[in-house]
Amino acid sequence: MFLRKYKTIIFVVAILAIALILLSYNLKHETGTGLVKKVVLEAAAPVHNILSLSVKSVSNAWLRYVFLVGLEQDNRDLKKKIDELKAELILYQEGYLEAQRLNKILSLRDNHDYHFISARVIGREPSALSRTIMINKGSAHGLKVGMPVIAPAGLVGRLTDVSWHVSKVLLLIDESSNIDGILQRTRTQGIIRGVGSSGCELKYILKNQDVKEGEIVLSSGIGGVFPKGLLAGVISRVDRQDAGLFLKINITPFVDFSKLEEVLVLADQEEGN
Amino acid sequence: MVYYLLLPFLSILLVVLQTSIADVLFSGRLILEISLIVVIYAGFRFDLIKGIILSFILGFVYDCLVGSVLGLFTFIYMVIFLCSFFVSIRFSSEKLYFIALFSLICSFLEEILVILFYNLAYGLDILKKTSLIFLPQAVLLSLLAVLFFYLVHRTEGFLHGKAFQSTKRARTGRLSAEA
Repeated sequence: MFLRKYKTIIFVVAILAIALILLSYNLKHETGTGLVKKVVLEAAAPVHNILSLSVKSVSNAWLRYVFLVGLEQDNRDLKKKIDELKAELILYQEGYLEAQRLNKILSLRDNHDYHFISARVIGREPSALSRTIMINKGSAHGLKVGMPVIAPAGLVGRLTDVSWHVSKVLLLIDESSNIDGILQRTRTQGIIRGVGSSGCELKYILKNQDVKEGEIVLSSGIGGVFPKGLLAGVISRVDRQDAGLFLKINITPFVDFSKLEEVLVLADQEEGN
Repeated sequence: MVYYLLLPFLSILLVVLQTSIADVLFSGRLILEISLIVVIYAGFRFDLIKGIILSFILGFVYDCLVGSVLGLFTFIYMVIFLCSFFVSIRFSSEKLYFIALFSLICSFLEEILVILFYNLAYGLDILKKTSLIFLPQAVLLSLLAVLFFYLVHRTEGFLHGKAFQSTKRARTGRLSAEA
């Protein structure tokens, strides 16, 4: 009698309790990708694919055939830039060969052997709090939670949810992203933490350290998730005024996350085989 | 029954669609939370069981695809649904200015709950970083809510050939268990 009278209220309270239990369980255990979440990600993938393809084709048509203002000037600038870069590349090639020779002599090769798994970005999930993208590869292709993701320009982030054919990538600029970084010039180590759309911050660098704007920040390889030497970003601002022991350093990532189309997942050689 | 079977698929479609549109329009700076408007709409028009299930599924899908902690938006959406439901019993929810104002309040409520959660769970103070995003987002949401309610009202009127008011739920204040 009691149950029948208050069945609606009991149902509402029960469903609220389920949500609260779900929240507290995930908060405490960080279970990763459960079966239901995997199913939702898999179901969303085709919708993402269709939408991103149609949006891409519309924007391509606009950029290629309609919006051609300044194209000639761009072309001229790019040709000039190519000539400059070619000259620079020759220098770097020499440096690379030299580094390889030295590496061989000193036996400083990394213990990790990586291979790349390419994937296409099929969706972006912007929110005020999390910055993630979805890619069209999953555990069926050898991906696992925690694997680093890069683009030709530099570091992108790491895999946080891996479904069978779709995965979610937590971007470098996400507030909860922490990567061990190193300054290219001085080899000073810090933590690269995401600060949303404004980029990243390099934390825990003491005020007495020599840090300049325009310096390149790389992954340090500490922690074992990201290999050493991946390009993370460039220092855009160094604030020494802030009270406290450490410098406030802003980093602009090399990767333009709003224009990412393809990424590479770094899988361990053993995982990939 | 068809409603409950279609709900998960429609929820996925809605969340993916809203994120894709927001990505094209605002390049990831702002989000279009049409899902929240749907929850408010459900609070105004649906009965308790139908609405709370919609809020649960929509919130869960939003958590899976966009959110960082599974269960956060599931809970928030249900709280907002219940607020909308009880407000619609007390007040007339037909006026567009009321819908705009209420959506604005719901958007702020959602943001406050998120900020509180991150503060309590992780000790993060995200208020400073997100306050500039939250305000335009809340205003945008309230304007969209007006448009959404107006369009649904017109569609319902067109389909049923009569005024939409209270077609789904008797305005008696009684909690119906009818699904």
